[in-house]
Amino acid sequence: MNRVLLIGSPNSGKSSLFNRLTGLHQKVANFPGITVDVSSGALAKMPDVELLDFPGTYSLQPISAEEEVAVEYFQRALADPEVRHVLCVVDATRLEKSLYFTLQVTRESQRHGKPITILANMHDVLSANGLSFDPEGLAREVGAPVILVSAREGSGLDQVIERLRSALISDDRAGGLWADTPDALLRGTAHQLAHKYGPSGDILVRQQTRLDRFFLGTATGGVAFFAIMLLLFQSIFTWSAPVMDAVEAGVVGLGEALVPLISNTVLADFTSDALFGGIGAFLVFVPQIFVLTFIIGLLEDSGYLARAALICHRPLKIFGLTGKSFVPMLSGVACAIPAVYAARAVDSPRQRLMTYLAIPLMPCSARLPVYALLIATFIPNDTVLFGLIGWQGVAMFSIYFFGMFCALLVTGLVSRMSTLAKTELPFVLELPPYRLPSFRPIARAAVNRCRHFVTKAGKVILGVTVAVWVLGYFPNYGTDLAGSWLGTLGRFIEPVFAPIGLDWRYGVAILSSFLAREVFVGTLGTIFGIEGAEDNMLPLVDQIQASALPLGSGLALLVFFAIALQCVSTVAILARESNSWRVALTMLVSYLVAAYLAALLTFNVTQGLVVFIG
Amino acid sequence: MTTSADATALWHLAPGLQATVVGFEDDLSENYRIRLMEFGFHPGEVVTCLLSPGFGAPKVYRVSNTVFSLDSEIAEKVLMDTQSMMKSVAL
Repeated sequence: MNRVLLIGSPNSGKSSLFNRLTGLHQKVANFPGITVDVSSGALAKMPDVELLDFPGTYSLQPISAEEEVAVEYFQRALADPEVRHVLCVVDATRLEKSLYFTLQVTRESQRHGKPITILANMHDVLSANGLSFDPEGLAREVGAPVILVSAREGSGLDQVIERLRSALISDDRAGGLWADTPDALLRGTAHQLAHKYGPSGDILVRQQTRLDRFFLGTATGGVAFFAIMLLLFQSIFTWSAPVMDAVEAGVVGLGEALVPLISNTVLADFTSDALFGGIGAFLVFVPQIFVLTFIIGLLEDSGYLARAALICHRPLKIFGLTGKSFVPMLSGVACAIPAVYAARAVDSPRQRLMTYLAIPLMPCSARLPVYALLIATFIPNDTVLFGLIGWQGVAMFSIYFFGMFCALLVTGLVSRMSTLAKTELPFVLELPPYRLPSFRPIARAAVNRCRHFVTKAGKVILGVTVAVWVLGYFPNYGTDLAGSWLGTLGRFIEPVFAPIGLDWRYGVAILSSFLAREVFVGTLGTIFGIEGAEDNMLPLVDQIQASALPLGSGLALLVFFAIALQCVSTVAILARESNSWRVALTMLVSYLVAAYLAALLTFNVTQGLVVFIG
Repeated sequence: MTTSADATALWHLAPGLQATVVGFEDDLSENYRIRLMEFGFHPGEVVTCLLSPGFGAPKVYRVSNTVFSLDSEIAEKVLMDTQSMMKSVAL
């Protein structure tokens, strides 16, 4: 198959072009380093040609392990006889930034006899601001065609396809104008060419600076940061609620309509409790994941997240992290899995490891139903200050804050105790221009994230729910849970959880939650014999309250869930990304032991206070 | 010719001022020196300090038409010609 390489420096709009050319929906973001894997797809107008999208990099002279991997991969791809052409994307509004890299790519392509075309992206921005750019002049000097394109508007792409149709052949005669030019000379030439042919006005920088004065100002920047974070959390917990309610109602309604049609009792119980209970357990999170992913996408694409990284750099540095850890940690509030991927943007291996350590402690959305259940059970639904502040809301905020506090505490301690070489790369972050986000690609990315959640996590959750139902239903057909296989297993592990006041039922629910945290609620619902506990927690809350579970045990469970790394998918991704099962398993065991000890302490202190107060 | 007495670190460039890069501290590693030059921080290039966010956060610099944020660790290693220091005409 014929292949075309797509390469460019970060923030050049390369991924948007890839989506335009292939019709695919790769995640696009306005944050350096967001393209972390080589994506591929057939060109929409030339289906026999595969386009390979390489990670954005500033130079073919790498300074970090990740850049080294990307550059080696690019060099190998150039040597591949199936690779017929190279498309190099530059940001036409900031030619200076990407032209040196373009000349390096041109040189390497010429050495391998591959034709190259330069795509000068963001033509629309140039036109809108009356800026000039001389593609013909640049093409003459570089010795490669330069096509003005706009990934946002889709302009110039027909010319790209035309060019590919006419130049989809490798030139066997390696060599060319730049083939033997050393880096130092390329740097100087790029500097001159950028000044000669690039846009001369600075209207864009002036616009950017005006906004930066607000978003990075000492007072206004802080207020804007907290307002945006508040907006983010509101979106997760408030705006998602009506859609979550609708999903709940839909699943319950469908179950109620279908189950009466099933005459076989076992099958009817299975359909009602295991299938619809299991499906409801994870479908209810889909709106929340969509909203969170969408809002984070908007923040990334607008250019704000790079500013947030800058604002957070100094405080995070105290805890062994960097401003670049902010985006992965924030993503961790939604789900640890994409957050671990996003940590590739952290250059320093040491700071990346610290970021990995922090991510599982961020209060991910899978913890939400567990927190919601326990808070509804143990914290009174009372309000103060004329109904403005509810104790349950305060409790939710506290447990979220506790998770973030633990994350910083762990990284702060480990970074000071670690013998890992201090290889922090200096903080140099390109601040991309502010722009209006492209809603459609962001919405598509959010849909893809939801689809991934349903197809990957959903299978696990449904599988566990079915397994728990089978263990709890047989051998006595659901008449006596204590005598079921689940009851037998629970009593076997009961001594482990007894010191924190939990009986076998909670032990079983905790065990099942190691596959996915939110399974805890469904399992507990199954054990207490409540259908659809995930959808309507109130009967389960009543059951737990009636079981006289001590307050200390409830708080201990909250603390346990805030710290423990109960997610096999996250452990697997951590192992893959850190390239070390030792790191992932050490984290799993360490957080489990820490969670247990913290829960034990919480139980004893709380029960002591309860006795003391009287 | 600029002597070390005429040079100051980029970190000390106040917001609204511009100056010309004259070189880098000797203890800056080759990789970072090259990367800074790739970003446009060439000797002879004019750099403008756009913003100095509060609480010691990395400062914001303009080089050519691109804006970068550099923290003190790296901005202390970039040497600027004090004689060329002036109020930025671009802002």
